[in-house]
Amino acid sequence: MASEIALPQGSAPAIAADAGTPAWRRPWALAAWAALALVAFWAATGTTPTAFVHLWTWLPALLRGLLANIEISVLAMVLGTLAGLLVGALSLSPLRVLRVAARWYVQVFRNAPVLVLVYFTTYVFPFELHLVSWTFPFPDWIKVVLGLALPASANVAEIFRGAIQSIPSAQWEAAQSLAFRRSEIFRLIVLPQCLRRMLPPWMNLYASITMSTALASLVGVHDVVDTAQIASNTVARTDFTILVYFTLLGLFFACCYPIARATRALERRHDRH
Amino acid sequence: MSEALLAQAVAALKTVGLNYAFVLDLGERSAFLRGLGVTLQLCLLTIPASLAAGVLIASALTSGRAWLVQPARAFVEVTRNTPTLVQLYCAFLVLNMLITQHVKLPGGNPLTPFVWVVIVVSLHKGVFHAEALRAGIEAVPRVTLEAARSLGFSQRQLLWRVELPLALRFALPALVNNLVDLVKMTAVASAIAVGDVTYESIMIWTQRDNVLELLLLILVFFGLLTWLVSLVGRWLEERLRMSGYGQ
Repeated sequence: MASEIALPQGSAPAIAADAGTPAWRRPWALAAWAALALVAFWAATGTTPTAFVHLWTWLPALLRGLLANIEISVLAMVLGTLAGLLVGALSLSPLRVLRVAARWYVQVFRNAPVLVLVYFTTYVFPFELHLVSWTFPFPDWIKVVLGLALPASANVAEIFRGAIQSIPSAQWEAAQSLAFRRSEIFRLIVLPQCLRRMLPPWMNLYASITMSTALASLVGVHDVVDTAQIASNTVARTDFTILVYFTLLGLFFACCYPIARATRALERRHDRH
Repeated sequence: MSEALLAQAVAALKTVGLNYAFVLDLGERSAFLRGLGVTLQLCLLTIPASLAAGVLIASALTSGRAWLVQPARAFVEVTRNTPTLVQLYCAFLVLNMLITQHVKLPGGNPLTPFVWVVIVVSLHKGVFHAEALRAGIEAVPRVTLEAARSLGFSQRQLLWRVELPLALRFALPALVNNLVDLVKMTAVASAIAVGDVTYESIMIWTQRDNVLELLLLILVFFGLLTWLVSLVGRWLEERLRMSGYGQ
């Protein structure tokens, strides 16, 4: 995608980079420059290997597929976070029944394979919804969103509970002795500290849900994995098959690695405080 | 006799709206049981294989030699940040294809889909084990190592008698967590038509339309397996507990 913009003037910055700026030394920048230089060389001499020509024609379709994956992961995470915060709050409630129910919810959906949950929501829900006299279609990708939101919510509930319980109980007592109400302690003292602690594991979960969206291809959603399979079968060349699957790996890596890096940076900053 | 008991159980479940009639069909029942067996086999093979891979990767990561550390680091990052399914496809649809094309053995390609699942899941979880072990090794207090050195432990003794036992104890909870994940991950085998419990269930429910019933069975089965793994983990933690280290 980036090479599309840089294609015409590809070789000039590569020479400038040779001057030895600090950014040049970063391995990712180095790899990107090398790839750009290669593409520029191929474009200039007209010797692009056939597999790469095919990849170039299939790239828009692959990126559209990736967009579907990202949509699914974002929606699943939004739903999962909302439901998870609710379940997490229930697991801290003073009522025993609610605590036990929340505990079971978390246990069941954390210990179930994500693939099985995706099958579950795909096959158990109907393909249309009837509400009074209207009929709504219930497409597969929404079912996958629900299937991923279930484990996401169980994990968010656990992250939330862990964060709340990591706040020393002395703070509750101190706040109580200063005549704060329970809701005030929660809102003004505990929650602000929790949010910071919850962010790194939540981002980890987001990366893991993004990776799980690859399972959508198994239940017939046209995502990036499905597109890659179609491309590989349509072109039917050994070198293209190798290329397209490793491109797939690269696309997911490009989505998830920055999140992992950001998570680690946040954790390091959190450690210092 | 047991058939009659089974029929009674099926009839009883029918009254609450669950259609388990497939267990009365000999072929489907044996297919489902075979699926349970295959999943169990997958778990029993991948658990030791992933631990071995984890130890190898962890030793590469902590070796301190740049030519070992950097490839290991890159492998860890790529494996952690890509979906298992895509890795499985890269291995089974790409590497397996290349092997089939280039290796001319009398019996054809010896690597079955089952073997590929074991390899990919082991390597994938091995990376997570390696991270846990590395964190465990780094958590061993420097003072303890210095104390052992001052008592005249050699480098080798230091590693085997002091550093690794403590590192293992620090890493154990994370390792058990990874193994629970590994058990769940074996479900991905159904994607390349390995006859595990998920795959056999799909075969049954496309015939009978009893998805909910089968999924409940699968969930119970995986719940049982993960519970067993965490039970063994807790037992090990209890056994290996040293006063003064960990809770």
